[in-house]
Amino acid sequence: MNFDDIKIGDEITEGKHPVGKYQPHYYAGASLDFNPIHIDPDFGKMVGLGGNILHGLCTLAFAAKTCVDYAGGDPASLKRLKARFSKPVKPLETVIVSGKVVAKDGDTASIEFGAATNKGENQVLTNGIAEFRKI
Amino acid sequence: MAVDKKFIGKQYAPFVYEVGREKIKEFAKAIGETNPLYLDEEAAKKGPHGDIVAPPTFASLYAGGPVGEMLYDKELALNLMMLVHGEQDFEFFEVARAGDTMTTNCVISDISEKSGKSFVTAETMTTNQNGRPVVKARWTFVIRG
Repeated sequence: MNFDDIKIGDEITEGKHPVGKYQPHYYAGASLDFNPIHIDPDFGKMVGLGGNILHGLCTLAFAAKTCVDYAGGDPASLKRLKARFSKPVKPLETVIVSGKVVAKDGDTASIEFGAATNKGENQVLTNGIAEFRKI
Repeated sequence: MAVDKKFIGKQYAPFVYEVGREKIKEFAKAIGETNPLYLDEEAAKKGPHGDIVAPPTFASLYAGGPVGEMLYDKELALNLMMLVHGEQDFEFFEVARAGDTMTTNCVISDISEKSGKSFVTAETMTTNQNGRPVVKARWTFVIRG
C-alpha cells in the first residue's frame, strides 16, 4: 500500500495476534517489565485480575504492526500511535485489531483502530489512533 | 489511597539508552514481528533506512526507562499491586536505529482521581545523539481503588 492508495473509509486488513501462554514472559524479557501482574498467575489472581495479564504495550505493539503493515510497512511513516487499554488481555486469547481510515490530507492519513479478543466481546484497546505521514 | 498532587511537575534525571542491534531483533521477535526492516540486515540494506530500525513501540525501552523509575519512586509510593497501564500516546519524529543514543526527560504531568481510582500521567521527550526529537509520549497509569 502506498500513501496515495490510502482512502478515507477504507477498512484496514484485520490483524490476528494469538497470545501464547508464555507471551507475557517473552514480552517481559524483551521490554524489561517484570511486574508480577504480567508473569505470575497467582499474583494476578490475588490482586483481582483473575490471573496474569499481557502488557498493554504488547497489545499496542500488535496494533502498531497491523497499522504499519497496512500503511506500507515502513515504521518511519508512523507519526502518532495512541490507545486506551480498556480491558486486560489474558494468555491464550487472540487479539484482533481492526480499523478504518477516517481522515486524509496531502501528507497525513489517520486510522481509527480498536482491538478485541476472541473471548467474548471484550474491547481491549479503544480510542485507538494511528497517524501516518507521507514519506 | 489518593496520590498526592504535589508531585505534579516532578522531574526525573535524564535517562540515557543506547539502542542495541540484537535488542531490536529480540524485541521485534517478542512482539511477533515479521517485518524484515526490523529483523533482516540484508533486506534492510536495500530498504529505505540502509540498516535495520526498531519497531515503533521499542520506545517502551528507551522512553519508558524513566517512567519505570517514576513507578518505583519511593517518595511517590504508588500501589503497584493495584496499578495498570491506562492509556498510551506516542508521537514519533524519527525512527530509532541500532547504535543511536537516546536521552529521555520525564515529568509527572498530571495526577487525578475519578470514581475511586487514581490516575498518574507522565510525559517524556526523547532526543537522539544528534539532538533531534525522536519520540514524545504520554503514559497514563490507573491505580484501582
